[in-house]
Amino acid sequence: MGGISVPDSGFYIISAIAIVLLGAQAVSHPAAFIQISIFGIADGAMYALVALGYTMVYGIIELINFAHGDVFTMGAYIGTAILGFFAVNENSFTTINLVALLLVFPVVMLIMGAINIGIERVAYRPLRNAPRLAPLITAIGMSFVLEGVMFLWHGPATVHVPDLLPHGPGFQTKIGGVFVGFKDVFVVVTAVILVSLLAVFINRTRLGKAMRATAQDRDAAQLMGIDINRTIAATFFIGALLAGAGGMIWGLYYNNIFYNLGFRTGLVAFTSAVFGGIGNIPGAAIGGLLIGLISAYSDYYIGSKWTEVVIFGILIGVLVFRPTGLLGMRVPDK
Amino acid sequence: MALLEVESVNAFYGRIQALRGISIEVDKGEVVALIGSNGAGKTTTLRTISGLMHPQSGTVRFDGRDITRTGPSKIVEMGICQSPEGRRLFPRMTVVDNLFMGAYTRNDKPGIATDMDRVFTLFPRLKERRTQIAGTLSGGEQQMLAMGRALMASPKLLMLDEPSLGLAPILIETIFSIVREINAQGVPVLLVEQNASKALEVAHRAYVLETGSIVMTGTGKEVAASEDVQKAYLGI
Repeated sequence: MGGISVPDSGFYIISAIAIVLLGAQAVSHPAAFIQISIFGIADGAMYALVALGYTMVYGIIELINFAHGDVFTMGAYIGTAILGFFAVNENSFTTINLVALLLVFPVVMLIMGAINIGIERVAYRPLRNAPRLAPLITAIGMSFVLEGVMFLWHGPATVHVPDLLPHGPGFQTKIGGVFVGFKDVFVVVTAVILVSLLAVFINRTRLGKAMRATAQDRDAAQLMGIDINRTIAATFFIGALLAGAGGMIWGLYYNNIFYNLGFRTGLVAFTSAVFGGIGNIPGAAIGGLLIGLISAYSDYYIGSKWTEVVIFGILIGVLVFRPTGLLGMRVPDK
Repeated sequence: MALLEVESVNAFYGRIQALRGISIEVDKGEVVALIGSNGAGKTTTLRTISGLMHPQSGTVRFDGRDITRTGPSKIVEMGICQSPEGRRLFPRMTVVDNLFMGAYTRNDKPGIATDMDRVFTLFPRLKERRTQIAGTLSGGEQQMLAMGRALMASPKLLMLDEPSLGLAPILIETIFSIVREINAQGVPVLLVEQNASKALEVAHRAYVLETGSIVMTGTGKEVAASEDVQKAYLGI
């Protein structure tokens, strides 16, 4: 590499302009800026949870798992079904709400983990040695299958997710003209806990290290006695744990979900993963956060109809000018 | 009965035949060299033994058990470990983590700690660099790490694929003296080398491989004394 190349300087110039413009807004209307930032961070935390699954799967088998966004949505659908068994109260936070909340997350995560292992077994493993385009196509097929299942289940209309988190005027504080709701805090704290657990798992445990080893050199991993089918299945399982939790959090935050929610969210999360550097785990978390912030700023300062242009413009820009993403991981040269 | 018995193995890459009925034995305590030029089938032989690929016909037996169709992770558990060609370290993991990966199939913590000490005694450089990221090591250090990583499996048979490739002459000396030392500790070694003269010095027995067939076998000295081998591989 060495020095700043022309494409790199393009990336820096665009980033610098965006930061200066935002900085001007932050100085002239600080309260609005901080308020928007809070919304952006909450969204970004959810994108990060989904982006991690994209990046982990890409890291280990170089597949963009386009069904991942629908795993996220299905987490919300299944979670909503589970909440149906509880007499949750949408007006005040009761003990039942708390119990439902503590129960729904692990159950949804485990179910989605199991489903994703099944998806890998059926749609990707038989194509392990096929040309790379083949599993990409089955991934898109799997995405349609999941969306189809959810469509048959609840139809095309939006599904209401019980608003069981503490909300309303009693559960938000106003700091210097900026509202911070319990829900915002909940989303960010949950995401931070999950990402920290992931980091510990990946860096400290035997299976986590085996996953990293498999991602770095699959043949060598096999020669160490690592069963790569197991580590790949584990990667899909963990990716789905995070996506399932992300879907549940999304449902509880926005209280509305629909069968193809994962199409857009998945693409945005994929953009986050590419932005941070596809295959790079910290990159996906940071990329998710940044994309959440950028889309919030775009919604407010440019207009929400332009947000998708901005986000996918970033995707194109990163792929053209800086394919290694922000954290600059070397692109796999296979 | 030898520790490792490869018998009349035929192996293919697609429609191209890479191994033509080769038979090899490695006994306890031996260093056996497999020499031959590029593309002769040396690495393919190792891949067939370690289960990364399976032969179309023929058998591979280890410790009396048929492992012809056994998967690579099971074979490592049974005690064959390989330091692959080109080192194939985990480049973004530390030296210590690479070594731990070598011991992946083991559960005996005290044994792993003992072997870690043993590796650090063989390769003091690795001890100095234990927290360094493997991808930033020099070529010689990477080769040492690859060998150390294979030793961490506490193998009953160690396979080394081109351990001297791309190393400075002084390091090549070091690597081969370490191969001797490992063998002296009781580990049989199957050594694949292009550097035939060095390999034949260390080896008790040797096989010469040419386009997928074994064309000669004998003790290291016998093979080194052969005119054909001298012309083709030793440059004499």
